[in-house]
Amino acid sequence: MRGVRAVFEGFGDLVLFSGETLAWTVRPPWRAELLLQQMAAIGVGSTFIVAVTGLFAGMVLALQGNHAMRQFGAEGYVGGFVAIGLVREFGPVFTGLMVTGRSGSAITTELGTMRVTEQIDAMETMAVNPVHYLVVPRVLAATLMMPVLAVVFSGMGYLGGYLIAIYVSGIPPGPFIDHTRSMVEVNDITHGLLKALIFGTVVSLIATHRGYAATGGARGVGEATTRAVVMSSVAILVLDYVITFLAIG
Amino acid sequence: MATIVVRDLWKAFGDKEVLRGIDLTVDEGSTFVVLGASGSGKTVLLKHVIGLLRPDRGSVEVNGLDMSRLQGPALIEARRMFGMVFQGAALFDSMTVFENVAFPLRERDRRVPFGEVRDRVVESLRVVDLGEDVLDLWPAQLSGGMRKRVALARALVADPKVVLYDEPTTGLDPITADSVDQMINQAKQRRGMTGVVISHDIASAFRVADRVAVLYDGRIAAQGTPEEVRRSEEPYVKRFLALWFEKQ
Repeated sequence: MRGVRAVFEGFGDLVLFSGETLAWTVRPPWRAELLLQQMAAIGVGSTFIVAVTGLFAGMVLALQGNHAMRQFGAEGYVGGFVAIGLVREFGPVFTGLMVTGRSGSAITTELGTMRVTEQIDAMETMAVNPVHYLVVPRVLAATLMMPVLAVVFSGMGYLGGYLIAIYVSGIPPGPFIDHTRSMVEVNDITHGLLKALIFGTVVSLIATHRGYAATGGARGVGEATTRAVVMSSVAILVLDYVITFLAIG
Repeated sequence: MATIVVRDLWKAFGDKEVLRGIDLTVDEGSTFVVLGASGSGKTVLLKHVIGLLRPDRGSVEVNGLDMSRLQGPALIEARRMFGMVFQGAALFDSMTVFENVAFPLRERDRRVPFGEVRDRVVESLRVVDLGEDVLDLWPAQLSGGMRKRVALARALVADPKVVLYDEPTTGLDPITADSVDQMINQAKQRRGMTGVVISHDIASAFRVADRVAVLYDGRIAAQGTPEEVRRSEEPYVKRFLALWFEKQ
C-alpha cells in the first residue's frame, strides 16, 4: 500500500514539476546560449550512437523482412516494410531509449550532484531560479533534438536496410525504392516525429525531475539516475502504445 | 537599526523538531554568529533567513521583507540583497572560477559589458588574496581553502547588503581560517555588510562576532555579546565553551 502511495506521490510531484517548468519556459530572460549548449550536448553528442544503432536496426529489419516476405514472393515490399517500421516505430522508440541511456542519465547525474553539493541552493541564493536556468534549457533541447535524431536514426536505418536488401538478399533496387514511395505517407512521418517530440519532453522531464529531487549523497544520485533511466524507458514504451492506439486504433 | 528579525521560528522535518521557537535580532552592519554543535539546526536557521526553507510557524524579516511569506518573483527579487557562502563552497562544477564569480553579476544585469564584469571579478578575487592566474581554473583544480575563498569572492562580488556564512572556516588550516575571518571583518568594516555566521568554531566566532547566540536542541541557549555569552551560566553553554577553553 505504501508503495502504491509512493508511486502516486512521485507522479503528482512530476506533474507539478512539469507545470513549473512550463511556466518558466515562457518567462524572460531567455538564455539562448544555454539552449544551444544543451542542443549540442543532447543532439550533436548523441548523433553518432543514434546513427550506428539506426544503421544496424535497418539492416536487421531488412533481413527479417526478406526472410518473412520471401515465403509469399513479396520481397519487393521489403523497402516499404523497412521504411514504415523505422519511421513510425523504431526511429522514435530506439532514439528515445538511446537518448535516455546517454543524455537522460547524464542530466540526472549532473543535476543530482548539483543538488547534493548545494549548487542548486547556491543558485537560488543568487536570485536565479534553478528550474529556469537548469531545467528549461534541457527540456527544450531534448524536445527539439529528439525528432532530429529520430530522422537520423530512420535515415541511417533505411540506408542499412537498402544495403542489406540489395547486396545481401539480392532484391533489385527499383522495387525496393518504388514500394517505399508507394507505402510511406506523410502521415507516417508526422506520426513518428510527434512520438519523438513527446518522448523528448517526457524523457527530459523525468531526468531533470529525478536529479532535481535527489537526496543522500553519491548513493542517492546513483539511485536517482537508475530510477530516471528505468522510468523513462517504461514511459517511452507505454506512451508508444498509447499514441499508436490513438492514431490507428 | 535591525536588519534581520527572527520571531518564534519553528521547523520540523517529519517527527523531528529542528527549530523550536527561535527569536533573534541582527543589527545593520554587524556580524552575528550562531554557535552550536553539528545537527543543532544552524544551517536550517540560515536557510530560513534567505527563504530556502519555509517555517512551520513564526517569521523571518530582512530589511522589512518577510522572507517566510514571499514567493515567486518577489522572493527572487528579495534574494538580490544577499550573498551566501556555503559550507562546501558550492561552486558550480561546470564553470571556471571566472564564470563562478561573474555569475551573480551577469544574472543581475545581463547588459553589463564584459570588461566591467571582468574588472569586478578580478577585484573581488583580489580581496580574498587570489590573483588573475586562477580565473580559468575549474573548481576541481582548487584546494579546499581556495574553493572557500572563491566562494567568498562570489558572495561579495555583487555588493550584497547581507552576507550569510555557513561554516566558513570548517575544514581549513588555522592560517587560512584566520584569513577568512579577516575577510569577514573587512566585509563588515569596509563595505558595511551585515553578516550572519553559523559555526562550531568558537575561536573564529569570537574573532568576528559583534553578537553571539548558542543554539542547543532547537532553542537559543544563550545570546549576547561574546563576553556576555562567555559568562553565561546556562549549563550547556558553559560545557560547550569550557571544552574549547580547556583545549586552548
